[in-house]
Amino acid sequence: MEHSKFHQITREMSDPAFIEEIKKMPGGDKILDCIQCGVCAGSCHARFAMDYSPMQVLKMAHLGLKKEILSSSTIWICASCYTCASRCPRGLDIPAIMSGFKNMAMKSNVTAPIALKPKFHKTFTEIVGKYGRMYEPELQIKLTEKTDVGALMHNASLGLRMFRKGKISLQPSKLSPSTHFTDIVKNVLKEEAPKK
Amino acid sequence: MKYAYFPGCSIHASAKEYAMAAQAINKYLDVELVEIPEWNCCGAIDAVYAYNPLLSISLSARNLALAENMKMDVVTLCSACYFTLNRASNMLRENGDMKGKVDRAINDAGLNYAGGVKVRHYMDIIANDVGFEKIRQQVKSPLRGLRVAPYYGCLIVRPTGIQRFDDPEHPTSMDKVIQAVGAEAVNYPDKTSCCGASLAITDEEVMMEMTKHPLLTAKNAKADCIVTPCPMCHFNLDAKQKDIETHFDIDIGIPVLYITQLVGLAFGLPPKELGLHRNIVKPDSIFEKLRVSGQATAKAA
Amino acid sequence: MKQPKIGVYICHCGGNISDTVDVAKVKDAISKCKGVEICETYEYMCSKPGQDMIERDIKEHNLNRVVVASCSPRMHLDTFRGAAKRAELNPYLLEMANIREQCSWVHDNKELATTKATSLIRGLTERVKHLEPLETKTMPVNRDVAVIGGGIAGVLASIELADKGYKVYLIERNPSIGGHMAQLSKTFPTLDCSACILTPKMVYVSQNPNIEIIDMAEPVAVNGSPGNFELTVKIRPRYVDKEKCISCGECAKVCPVKKWSRHEEGLTQEKAIYLPFKQAVPNAYVIDRDQCLWFNKGVCRVCEKFCKGKAITFDQKEETRQLNVGAVIACTGYQQLDSGISKEVFDGWDVFSQYSFGLHPDVVTNLQFERLMLQGMHRPSNGKPPKKVAFVLCVGSRMDRGIQYCCKIGCMNAIKHSLLLLKAFPEAEPWIFYTDIRAHGKGYEEFYSNARGHNVKFIRGRVAEVVPNGDDLILRAEDTVLGKHIEENFDMVVLSPALLPNSGTGQLSKMLGIDLGPDNFFLERHHKLRPVDTKMEGIYLAGCAVGPKDIRETTVETMATASKVATFLGRGEISLSPEKAHIETEKCNNCGACTQYCPFKAIESTAKGIVINSISCTGCGICVPKCPTEAIDLKQSTDRELTAQIQGTCETDGDKPRILAFLEKTTAYGSADLAGQTRIQYTPDVRIIAVPSAGRVGLKHVLTAFASGADGIIFIEGDDSPFREDGVRDHVNGMKKELGKFGVESLRLVSMTTTLPQFDKVVNLFQTFDERITKMGRVAPEKRKRLLEALGGGK
Repeated sequence: MEHSKFHQITREMSDPAFIEEIKKMPGGDKILDCIQCGVCAGSCHARFAMDYSPMQVLKMAHLGLKKEILSSSTIWICASCYTCASRCPRGLDIPAIMSGFKNMAMKSNVTAPIALKPKFHKTFTEIVGKYGRMYEPELQIKLTEKTDVGALMHNASLGLRMFRKGKISLQPSKLSPSTHFTDIVKNVLKEEAPKK
Repeated sequence: MKYAYFPGCSIHASAKEYAMAAQAINKYLDVELVEIPEWNCCGAIDAVYAYNPLLSISLSARNLALAENMKMDVVTLCSACYFTLNRASNMLRENGDMKGKVDRAINDAGLNYAGGVKVRHYMDIIANDVGFEKIRQQVKSPLRGLRVAPYYGCLIVRPTGIQRFDDPEHPTSMDKVIQAVGAEAVNYPDKTSCCGASLAITDEEVMMEMTKHPLLTAKNAKADCIVTPCPMCHFNLDAKQKDIETHFDIDIGIPVLYITQLVGLAFGLPPKELGLHRNIVKPDSIFEKLRVSGQATAKAA
Repeated sequence: MKQPKIGVYICHCGGNISDTVDVAKVKDAISKCKGVEICETYEYMCSKPGQDMIERDIKEHNLNRVVVASCSPRMHLDTFRGAAKRAELNPYLLEMANIREQCSWVHDNKELATTKATSLIRGLTERVKHLEPLETKTMPVNRDVAVIGGGIAGVLASIELADKGYKVYLIERNPSIGGHMAQLSKTFPTLDCSACILTPKMVYVSQNPNIEIIDMAEPVAVNGSPGNFELTVKIRPRYVDKEKCISCGECAKVCPVKKWSRHEEGLTQEKAIYLPFKQAVPNAYVIDRDQCLWFNKGVCRVCEKFCKGKAITFDQKEETRQLNVGAVIACTGYQQLDSGISKEVFDGWDVFSQYSFGLHPDVVTNLQFERLMLQGMHRPSNGKPPKKVAFVLCVGSRMDRGIQYCCKIGCMNAIKHSLLLLKAFPEAEPWIFYTDIRAHGKGYEEFYSNARGHNVKFIRGRVAEVVPNGDDLILRAEDTVLGKHIEENFDMVVLSPALLPNSGTGQLSKMLGIDLGPDNFFLERHHKLRPVDTKMEGIYLAGCAVGPKDIRETTVETMATASKVATFLGRGEISLSPEKAHIETEKCNNCGACTQYCPFKAIESTAKGIVINSISCTGCGICVPKCPTEAIDLKQSTDRELTAQIQGTCETDGDKPRILAFLEKTTAYGSADLAGQTRIQYTPDVRIIAVPSAGRVGLKHVLTAFASGADGIIFIEGDDSPFREDGVRDHVNGMKKELGKFGVESLRLVSMTTTLPQFDKVVNLFQTFDERITKMGRVAPEKRKRLLEALGGGK
């Protein structure tokens, strides 16, 4: 796994407004408290799949390297397990910060290294917004490229296994209209519409 | 003891048997779970939150508002829902700005959340409200000789600020339940490591690498089965076990039970009532082990 | 009072004053003031001719009061008072007006500077009319010293003082002196044997006729005053007669009860009757009454039968002793963080749990490692030599809450342990996991290089977790330099826990009347210049009780402490400033309200009435406005003096707002002087009056100020004052509430604390407050009239 995409930090790479942006996100107010001790990186269960360690991402944030962070795989691979945050001596909420970066990435025009990720978040949210509850078969179908036969087969076989065990329903469960659930979703989208 | 019950999307679909077993044992534990009517998705840790944080918190808030009307503490079986609802509850309490936006969103649906709901995990109820002694008393067929590896996963014991009821590094609540039902709690190094559930759909290989660890170390510790209190972890450990074996060319073959199923077995309830026929990795080896141990105990007597 | 005959001297200061302030005009104005007998200007008042002029005028004109208007009193008050003394005028009858640092140097508008200088001098002129002659007193002091804490700091302090001829009581809580240093194997960086350098000192202490060791003892009360303290000490029974015990050990051989050894950090066991360690001083056995069968169950007493010296005495009782000493040294040392304390200070989080401490015998602390070194290094689990050892630094240190500071000795200890391990087992593999390597002291960086040269592995990354894996331990961390995850097997893991002040530090600080810092260690008087003093005279500090440090630093500090004690007690007497508070008994109704406000515990309610201890009293004046019957007054800052100065300073013509600034006379006033030295400019609307503390100024003075022409009042307190930030704020808020009754807006008062170098903060306050008052406008004349009437037509 290639762990370093750039070999020199130049002034142009540093976005001076980035730190202020970070401070506005939940958990981001403590971003500068990080002393880069590395306990987060050492604790991270998904570290092996990341290009930068969580500690490196926080350091990059200090240096204003917005583009590098938003195009890293790290922010997408964070599984929000909270092992890092529970041990951080400075009390940083690292998963919340990673979430914030995901959000920033999806609002910006940076291409995610794992293309499926932003699509996943968008699709998941749309399905929940539609039915009020997740309906996994629809999610799987929408996320699988119609040309990816291998994946289609794999999903189909898993789906069949699950169906046999009664773990999948053929219909999504929906909330009744009297709950006005869809109004809530509409109201939220009015307040804060994501760009992508 | 009555609680407002938040099932969550997984319970509703792939993890039905967790709830089935819970309902089965609850009557012996004097626990009544009253489902929140027309509940919606909790807000799905990061799946919705990263895309639209306000929507995620609003989804949580709707559930909390519904529960508030029921005037009971909320209990959930799913660790991810437990985290998501508590995160929202804390945020609504601490961030006035966010609360204002959320209130505007849910008021139109005739809902209002004042902020008084406590969200607890089912394991918390078992450990603290019911108590291990009560469980011991209800055991009809002690699971003697069964080596059970408790897999806590992450969000039931972390983060440390939110409604914590067990130690984040060395939790013991499930171990004590296992002991209370007469089985042996197995020690192994991955009790609280992350299975990678949130990565299951988009980064399956990463998830499999992460889930592999507790499977392997539990197997190395000679566990007969693994128990877990989270439907997402259960899916990875159980439904994906075969794929993990194939992908890494290893042999696991350990059945994975929900904690409620384990307790139900010890209470003498029929496996079908506990949904054991729905587990992907067949639990037959458990029954075999119990039969053999039972014979050995009878012989020794 | 006699007719005042005041001599006022206005200095040109070689142009420093006269270039800005029109001294001739000032002289004209002041000469017209009632009571001014003589008013002169001169080039350099502090020069010999200048001082001679004062002396001559005092004699020739029978002057009974003098005002010198020149530089800051912090520069030359003693100089001019010397001149007064020589002319046989009581020096306390001379005061100074600061028209340089706080006037000519900070204002460029000549007209306004001149008006301000006139009003400042006028204020002093009115003030000095009320001054009384005062005498400095001396008081004999007790030349004995109490040293609380028998670790290396206490041992060295006792030796220093004993060698200087002082009698020392060395009070130690445990059965033996020596502290944590007695547990160490070798010390860094020289690898001296710790016991070899410590125990001779311990023996010397026991043999020195000037030192009395009081072991098993703790102070329970401290009364009296600096130079004459009464320390009440409680001595727990040892149940063994120290004089008769010959340390043969027969008792321990037959004792049936085993317990974990404190000295061995819980690694091995000893009996309920035990010798703390071989070189213990006093060298006698002691019975742990919590473990002893006789005290718990009423059986056994076998040790008594086998004791060769007939030393065991089960009926020994707790004793109380009263010690009279002149000075006290608090050197109670440190304790290491453990799981219990961790949960307390980190909101329930146990920093040891991620390292599986307590779940595997081969996860040990650095103190335990020291003991293992001395027992013959081995793995506690199987007794075999450890091959691969991980050193985990910063356990519980450098957090964002609870314990924010560095333990200072962790890095060097780990390096030391690595080198000692390699010496014992050349094939061993020590790995040090660090966040920063701190090798600040003499010889430390070289020691560190040496370790690197010996192939000690240094991994930069805080350890994430240590997990038992069968017999061994798995350690996980990130090598942050390479950005790679590390997962390694180790035989042993050594943790470096944070250091905290020893248990009981909080209670002791209250007993002694001293403060704790934000890190909960004892607070020194001044970070740089008074590192071993406390806010209480006669109470001093040394060692880790002040903050974590290594042995060398403790030694150096202890030498300083002993020296300070010797200075304090050396002459057998201390001189007392007469500027203290006193009770006017005719006015006192014994309500006792004042007793709770004194930060130095100097006011007591006795059978004879309310008494202020003139030795403990520091003259801060915080008690004065708190008396409901105005029965307390403060010498050299009496009510009359202060009121007169306020009236004089405010009653000058001019239509610009008048702002009175009461500045605490040492730090805050010094800060304003510093502003002057840098020539930073601010508004001449502000006139400064020095006070012992902002707390000395009461509502009455505030009302007088507004009645006399003030439009706004500033209070600035030094941050090291006993009043503290919340004290000033509460005091001023109380006055704000009352002002409303007189129709004066509460925004016309403001308060702040400052450190000496923060003069820009002081100037900023002057400027912004002036803007506020200018916007609000001057106080209406009718309001002033009302105030004047309320005050009784003005006193």
